[in-house]
Amino acid sequence: MRPFRHLLLLLLLVPAAFAADTALTGRWRLDPARSTALDGWTAWDLVITAEGSRVSLRHDMQWRSTKVTTTNLVDTAAPSTVKDFFRVEQRHMALYPAKGGTTAVRAAWLDAGRTLRVEADTPIEISQGQANMRLYYEYRLIEGDAALVLIELHSTRPQPLVYRFTRVTENK
Amino acid sequence: MRRILSLLTLFLAATLSGAEAGRSAFVMRWNLDWQVTGGLPEKVLLLSLQGLANRTAPQLYVVHPPEFQWEITGPLFSFYERKHGVKFTDLKTGEEALTRFAGSAKGYVVWDPAIPATMNVALTIAGLEDALVVTPALIPLVEKHGLKAVDDLRGRYTGQTDAQIYGDAVTRYWSRCSRDSIMLMGGHAGAVRQPAVADWGIRQKMFFHDLSANPKHPGELALAQRLLSELNPGATVFGWHSYAKDTEEQWTTLLSSYGLKMEGLHNLPNLSFNCQFGFTPGFRFTNTHHVARDAQLTAEAKVYLSFVQSDSIGIGVWTKPGRGKLPFAWQVTMNWTKFSPAALEYFHESATPNDYFIGGLSGPGYMYPNHIPADRFPLLMKEARDLMAVLDEHVMEIMDNSAADGNVGNADLTKETVDRYYAAFPDVLGFINGYGPARTRDLRDTRPMLSYDYYIDPRRPRAEVAADLNELIALNAKRPYFLLVHVRESNDVNSLIEVVKQLDGPVEVVPLDVFLKLAASKQTYTTRYQDPADPKHFTGYRK
Repeated sequence: MRPFRHLLLLLLLVPAAFAADTALTGRWRLDPARSTALDGWTAWDLVITAEGSRVSLRHDMQWRSTKVTTTNLVDTAAPSTVKDFFRVEQRHMALYPAKGGTTAVRAAWLDAGRTLRVEADTPIEISQGQANMRLYYEYRLIEGDAALVLIELHSTRPQPLVYRFTRVTENK
Repeated sequence: MRRILSLLTLFLAATLSGAEAGRSAFVMRWNLDWQVTGGLPEKVLLLSLQGLANRTAPQLYVVHPPEFQWEITGPLFSFYERKHGVKFTDLKTGEEALTRFAGSAKGYVVWDPAIPATMNVALTIAGLEDALVVTPALIPLVEKHGLKAVDDLRGRYTGQTDAQIYGDAVTRYWSRCSRDSIMLMGGHAGAVRQPAVADWGIRQKMFFHDLSANPKHPGELALAQRLLSELNPGATVFGWHSYAKDTEEQWTTLLSSYGLKMEGLHNLPNLSFNCQFGFTPGFRFTNTHHVARDAQLTAEAKVYLSFVQSDSIGIGVWTKPGRGKLPFAWQVTMNWTKFSPAALEYFHESATPNDYFIGGLSGPGYMYPNHIPADRFPLLMKEARDLMAVLDEHVMEIMDNSAADGNVGNADLTKETVDRYYAAFPDVLGFINGYGPARTRDLRDTRPMLSYDYYIDPRRPRAEVAADLNELIALNAKRPYFLLVHVRESNDVNSLIEVVKQLDGPVEVVPLDVFLKLAASKQTYTTRYQDPADPKHFTGYRK
């Protein structure tokens, strides 16, 4: 029974191990022409880093001259609770992160470390009070590792948001 | 009472003026070349000529191409012909215009295109000295018509900052300029400038400037604050902020903090002409009300959606295809009652039963109410009430973007501001708030205050607009849900009809007055004001 336990533990840890050397890490820049239209944002860089089972998803956002940087930390080893979870919102909708709300987040590596799946349940302030939005993200590496596609589903939106990014090399 | 009497006087005077049928006037048809190195110098010359020619009578009108931001100059031209019997004669060139009107001027003043602020100083001088405004290249043209230099700004301001230039102009000219209005001649800056409202500033002897309201320019800001502090209570800032120096939010915040009102834009044409025509005989504003003030409606378990356009009807959706096919509320630039009555009459005349007019923005002009001094608020809002009465309007639209970042961010009202509106407008059906989305909401007696839950960016793909609205409908799951939508100026109604077809659930598009009455019947929205903890992009000024 003990060897089986070790095998099970190893299997559980294997996806997390992909994180350290996943090609998803790096700086990615939104390709607006091949993406769902942003609303109220004019530029978006996604900076992904991984350390052990923890993955940092940093968003460098811009609207006119205003720049916003915010990071979601997710853990592929265990569910986590995130305060101030950042969602690239459609800013002309009266939807706001609920004050003091926490977001339950689950993350996992898929496809041999080429896809990161993130699921989140986040509270939203609406004009009628508060509601919950269930979010599903897949960060998928495209063949050649120079492009990344982010597919975002909302429990409350009838169609996915699809964003395509290109890798930013140092000399870009 | 005195205000009512003065409004009645205005109305009667306007009516009498409108009765003066058969007037003759001249018209020029301009192109879109506003390049500093191209068409601008001659246009500035002609604008100064227009301001002087129209001092005592409406003699010169300009028709701009349909692509110009103010699309109504063509339709309004036809309106003057049709309703006021004006017989226009075309002036095809600047030379022809000068031949006809050079006698209105006593001389000319020279500005230096290499120092942009000199144009504004020259425009100020033009109003005070009855001068035409020319670049050096245009001197021979005006001298051919017998005019002599009254001033020459070449060399006077070389190497000086705008703060220094305008500081000198204040010393020289401010004491002789109007204290009821001032001209913020900003807007386009650099290679293209569009000072199309200059005729009005010259006619009214305003001080022209494009001083910055940006705290990064403390010298200019301090001078702007001084000028605003020396205007008469309730005065108007015409024009628009400089696109190169600051933001609309900064300037509107600044002037509001002095209890003043903004009347845009820098390129609003023909006011020197328009101000001299009143309403046609027998005309009175009759809005298309769908409910009586004291009506009681009961909301059903559905989504109620209402569309509003607030960017001044002269530059917006009005002339776009499809108007009239959906109920639409239009925020009227109420001050046009005073200086562009014919334009308001034109809009009312061409309104369909689905077009509903509302008052705004925030008061008798464009202002940010969170910053209006408490002691100025009651008088300003009385002026707004009087204008709304003349215009037969029952809804007040409020906008305060002082803490917002363009059309996103914090556009909410403090509870103190909301209290003031409820006290100042006892007879309205309700209030609406925002530009981009906002979250100020209230319901007191039968008067709801609702903010926009959505803003339609004209560039946003219509499928995404439908998806956004459907997501709001899904998240706001209680029924009835009151979904107030702001339509940005350059959208068109036909595309919105297609959006509405894609919405989920029992959705009814209703006129704004019906919407507010229904919202009064069942409060499914929260009561909320600006939270001091909410982020602010800009916090305002210290006087």
